Amino acid sequence: MIEIKNLHAGIAGKEILKGIDLKVNAGEIHAIMGPNGSGKSTLAQVLAGHPSYEVTGGSVIYDGKDLLEMEAEERSQAGVFLAFQYPVEIPGVSNSYFLKAGLNEIRKANGQEPLDSMQFLKLLREKMKLVEMADSFIYRPVNEGFSGGEKKRNEILQMAVLEPKLAILDETDSGLDIDALKIVAGGVNKLKSSDNAFIVVTHYQRLLNYIVPDFVHVLVNGKIVKSGGKELALELEAEGYDQIKEDAKVTA
Amino acid sequence: MDTSQSQIQHYKNEFSAFEKNGASKSPAWVHDIRKAAIEIFEKEGFPTKKNEAWRFTNITPILHSQFRYSSAPSVPKVEKKSIEQLLLKETAQHLLVFVNGHFSKELSAVGKLPDGVLLTNLAEAVVSHQKIARRYLGKIAKTEQSVFSALNTAFTYDGLFVYVPRGVQIAEPIHALYLSSGAGEQVYVSAIRNLVIAEEESSLMIMENFLSLEENKNFTNAVTEIEAKKKSRVELVKVQHESAASFHYENVHVHQEETSNVALFSLAAGSALARNDMQVIIDGEAAECNLNGLYIVTGTQVVDHHTLMHHIHPNCPSHELFKGILDQDSRAIFNGRVYVEPEAQKTDSKQTNRNLLLSDNATVNTKPELEIFADDVKCTHGAAVGGLNDQMVFYLKSRGIGEETAKGMLVVGFAAEVTGKISNEKFRQYVDAVVIDYLQTKLGMKDLPEIVHS
Ligand SMILES: Nc1ncnc2c1ncn2[C@@H]1O[C@H](COP(=O)(O)OP(=O)(O)OP(=O)(O)O)[C@@H](O)[C@H]1O
Ligand SMILES: [Mg+2]
Repeated sequence: MIEIKNLHAGIAGKEILKGIDLKVNAGEIHAIMGPNGSGKSTLAQVLAGHPSYEVTGGSVIYDGKDLLEMEAEERSQAGVFLAFQYPVEIPGVSNSYFLKAGLNEIRKANGQEPLDSMQFLKLLREKMKLVEMADSFIYRPVNEGFSGGEKKRNEILQMAVLEPKLAILDETDSGLDIDALKIVAGGVNKLKSSDNAFIVVTHYQRLLNYIVPDFVHVLVNGKIVKSGGKELALELEAEGYDQIKEDAKVTA
Repeated sequence: MDTSQSQIQHYKNEFSAFEKNGASKSPAWVHDIRKAAIEIFEKEGFPTKKNEAWRFTNITPILHSQFRYSSAPSVPKVEKKSIEQLLLKETAQHLLVFVNGHFSKELSAVGKLPDGVLLTNLAEAVVSHQKIARRYLGKIAKTEQSVFSALNTAFTYDGLFVYVPRGVQIAEPIHALYLSSGAGEQVYVSAIRNLVIAEEESSLMIMENFLSLEENKNFTNAVTEIEAKKKSRVELVKVQHESAASFHYENVHVHQEETSNVALFSLAAGSALARNDMQVIIDGEAAECNLNGLYIVTGTQVVDHHTLMHHIHPNCPSHELFKGILDQDSRAIFNGRVYVEPEAQKTDSKQTNRNLLLSDNATVNTKPELEIFADDVKCTHGAAVGGLNDQMVFYLKSRGIGEETAKGMLVVGFAAEVTGKISNEKFRQYVDAVVIDYLQTKLGMKDLPEIVHS
């Protein structure tokens, strides 16, 4: 589905990603872990097409296309979705208007008829049930005044509505209480199929009890320094990043 | 004779004609007010850029036209239908319509009012309610502070007159609609003079709505005086969307007594040059004042807001939020003066001015002017000028939304924060509708969302 090769990227003249290699196939869940500031969000933002980041080397092929050549909205229309670590508040625009606009643009780009208000509302209500969100969130301005956990849930709602092929979840579990965590994980598991894939950025093994990854990667200082199965997350939880950081220094 | 001098002469000639015409029937004390004002006007003359209060606002375009005061009989006929078309939404039960500064009884409709409330036009009030009118007219506005106010005062004749007796609440909002209309080559000035008196523990809501009937050039020169007695509540929403060729000036003067609450909102979207002065004297303890505004300009429009919050007594909160959306070569001026006297301890004053530039050629001159002579106060101010927020644009794009649509959504959201300050729902919905209409028709934005408030 996506193949990242030797990706170098940075911001404001500072190199953050220093050669990332990652291949994700349809039907797979990959977890990315790593210390603060190692570049996890940067990778997520670069894949989603944030214009502030500068790609200085490498390639990303998504669905046979050069992802790095596409505008952010084109990536979304092609099925890439990023659940933000810090979802943005959009004052004055209702959640439902925002989501309907997004969904219909995506449908249009894929040769589907846009949904009318009734059809959309029906779909939205269904998906809101999935993430157990109250009706009132439909009419409130996007993320404005939402609690940290509500914002994260709203990200998953958006994912559920837009039904991406490749979803990147950047610390969606941070700030969630245990019930919310189960709801979010449940949402992901319901959406999971053999046609889509997930990249889940997290600091906590806890999430991976609910969203079971096929692969776990450790990102340190802009590079994936170790990859393994789901047991790697348990190892990290027990031992921290010190040993891995040491090993990385030796090999560097 | 230079332009300014010849214009002074022009207005003096107009004044002589005006005093002989329909306005001649006014009581003697009104004539006295006018006479004093025309003298101030003549002495002061029009402001130049050397005048600090007009440094960024060049008024010479106003001096290039021979604006006439229309005497009542020459006011153009306006059809009721054309008004209904102009108003985007149903607004209020009490509608008072003025055409070129003159009250139109046929076009107005005043519903049932609580006992003792006086809601009429000023020309009528100075005769029928002489005692009240005389006590307040020209007492709240400081004519000598602005030459345009002096010019308005010289032509004091008609406008909105509202008196709310003690303890009376007017539940239904009042809508004052000021229409400008030309007649062929002739260009007109409307000298609108409003007087609003809220007695103790009374409340009312007013919308001042300035509109042009055609794309004609006209000059609105208005003064509004508001007296808010103890514990009264006054909300005034101003909507200014006159034609792009027109000029607009209004000076709103507010005098507040203790524990009164006054909120003014200004939507400034029309005119080639629009200047809005808002001067509030907070003359009583624990009185609250909120000034909010939104300006939307494009082309070569110039919009100017000059505000004054004058704190005299302790424990008064005052808040200001002014936001601007500027496209093409437009320019906005915001000057927020906060004056805190030594007695006014525990003043809590906050002022914010935020500007969204949609073009590299738009300019903003924003300036807070804080003069604080009390030591135990909380006074903050902040100003920002910039483009759309990149994070927000990216967030929308990451959901498949294209650049143009994203921009529209963010502009609407930017406006919503401040229109949300309007507490009366009908007024807020009307203002929101005008904002959307303006963004679409004047700024050429498409597919705009409906405004929602949190
Ligand atoms: N706009 C910026 N300007 C300068 N440095 C930046 C900018 N954005 C990110 N960085 C730096 O890039 C590095 C990687 O940041 P990133 O957000 O990708 O880390 P992360 O792995 O997601 O961390 P966390 O686990 O704390 O979320 C950090 O050192 C950060 O300070
Ligand atoms: Mg991060």
